[in-house]
Amino acid sequence: MVNVVLLSLLAAQAAAPDLGAQGQPFPTGALNVGSPGGIPIGKLMLMPEIAVVVDGALGYTTLSSGQQELSALVLPQHKAWPLLQEVELAFQATIDPYVRGDVFLTFSPEGVGVEEAYLTTLSLPWGLGVKAGKIYSPFGRTSQLHRHQWTFVDQPLSMQRLVGADGLGGAGGDVSWLTPLPWFAELHLAYQATAPGFANVLQLTGLARLIQYFDLSDSATLGVGLSWALFQAEAPGQWKNLAGADLYVKFRDPASRSSVVLQGEIYGRQLGDQTFSQARWGGYAQAVWRLDRSWEVGARYDNAPAPVALAPGTQQTWTALGSFYTSEFFRIRVQPSLVLLPGGQNGFQGIASFEFTIGAHAAHPF
Amino acid sequence: MNQVAAALSVAVLLVSIASPARASVNVVTTTEGLAAIAREIGGEKVKVTALSRGIQDPHFVDANPSLAVKLRNADLLVDVGMDLEIGWLPPLVTQSRNAAIQPGGARRLTAASAISPMDLPTGPVDRSQGDIHPSGNPHFLSDPRRAVQVAAAIAAMLAEIDPPNAVHYQERLQAFGAKVAAAEKGWKAQLAPFAGRSVITQHKTLTYLLDWSGLKAAGYLEPKPGVAPPPSHVASLAAIVKSAGVKGVLVENYYDPRSANQLRDLAGVKVIVIPGDVGGTKEASDWVSYVDTLVKALSQAVQ
Repeated sequence: MVNVVLLSLLAAQAAAPDLGAQGQPFPTGALNVGSPGGIPIGKLMLMPEIAVVVDGALGYTTLSSGQQELSALVLPQHKAWPLLQEVELAFQATIDPYVRGDVFLTFSPEGVGVEEAYLTTLSLPWGLGVKAGKIYSPFGRTSQLHRHQWTFVDQPLSMQRLVGADGLGGAGGDVSWLTPLPWFAELHLAYQATAPGFANVLQLTGLARLIQYFDLSDSATLGVGLSWALFQAEAPGQWKNLAGADLYVKFRDPASRSSVVLQGEIYGRQLGDQTFSQARWGGYAQAVWRLDRSWEVGARYDNAPAPVALAPGTQQTWTALGSFYTSEFFRIRVQPSLVLLPGGQNGFQGIASFEFTIGAHAAHPF
Repeated sequence: MNQVAAALSVAVLLVSIASPARASVNVVTTTEGLAAIAREIGGEKVKVTALSRGIQDPHFVDANPSLAVKLRNADLLVDVGMDLEIGWLPPLVTQSRNAAIQPGGARRLTAASAISPMDLPTGPVDRSQGDIHPSGNPHFLSDPRRAVQVAAAIAAMLAEIDPPNAVHYQERLQAFGAKVAAAEKGWKAQLAPFAGRSVITQHKTLTYLLDWSGLKAAGYLEPKPGVAPPPSHVASLAAIVKSAGVKGVLVENYYDPRSANQLRDLAGVKVIVIPGDVGGTKEASDWVSYVDTLVKALSQAVQ
């Protein structure tokens, strides 16, 4: 609708009367009192880029709710359950020559929330950059991604349980430095109030992350990241230390849309009352093959601490993925998972999902 | 005291040896085509780096953070614009922390600002029409008229960044203009006998070149921009091939040629694979040889 208005206005501009010698319209009689003057579409040009991303799914599981404890997605047992997982509303614009602003609101069955809302500096010297507001913590690779940037329908349980149910994030700031090295090496130092894991209690958190990318060849890129978070733990069960390492390798013939991505992360978490040897570890490894412009397949192995109510041990999840893209703005995914719980309790979970974007064209995630 | 003065003199000498009299201007472009034109204008006074390669579909370049390193020290960023690079350039520019090349920055030249666009939407715009570029068709660099306009914009920008060499850039612009004018004569002569004939292309990548040449596009393998050709569309193109007397289909070498081959099997047209940009093939090593390759391909396609 806006476009129709814009085009009508542009047509009106094209049909505008001749201009005088100084570029001013010749007076034609009555003045247009109250008109702001200038180009009528000027104000519309200042609108931020707006996009809406909608995620819906149909889920089925053989697991009980107890067996799904500490998972961001809990499905009713033995029922094909429709879900509207999230609606994300994004506003993005340059604020002035020095900073840009990004705001992401989410609407989900849990309510309305601010996923991120932050400013980013554009002109600090010495390779420095600052993000401030409510931000995802510069920790790990997958925990910083918005839902529509996830390759799989869900996040690895190891990330949910050891880092944050919806990733790690909160109010604060992140100072980053793009080092002057000949390859991409970026150091982040952040200070935030975060709620790690599934706890709703905010903890003051200091974070550091070093992420580096190396071009191995014209068609292969290696990314290596190291992250560490130190939490102010005021109760024995609260997070104290969190460490992570991530590895990413992408193979893509530049002339092709096809690519293969191998990715993995490990996380180690120490609670306030734990010694280092009592820390819990977990992680995932995944391989994703983009066959062409439309098809993508993937597999993921995830090793996470089992839910507390079950026998102590780890939960292993094997997940397969099939995705079909009609365009850059719509995809359908099917994701079956085999869940291996401690004590021989095994189960199955299957999710079929759709996702669409309307509005501004987002950047392709790397 | 004399020793201190001597040491200082040596230090100053060493510094002056280490720093060349005039460091070259570091130009980064998004495509090889823009890089080729920047080299024509800058010559030895500039160092030019392209973020993508001529064998790549410029819509789908990876936003590889390594590219942000190339942008970090850019004295000038030249991008195509009209949303061609929207899927990958914006995050790289932000990551680069280079204030001067941010959108609207003093050292950012969007080539589309130097030309008059084609394929501007004339009605309501939405994505039912495919992945359209609402600001116009960004594939203008194979058009000799517009390439010279872009070259002039680059020359003006380089003169602003590097005033001592302004005359050098202006002279090279004149030389490039003359080279293009001479090449144009040959290309026009090559295509003149076929004026008014039609070809089919994969995407609207040759709109400007066809307009310049007097040839036409009878259809496109993509039913809508960015949409994969379904067999039914290929079948409908077969009917157009017969009615419009189309002899050839042109497909950039970064596209899957299967639909073009299907049309060849259905309608007997020639399939001619072309470079998508400068550097897309060995022969297309600079801007003139790239357009030369396209003109030869067009000439083959209409016979």
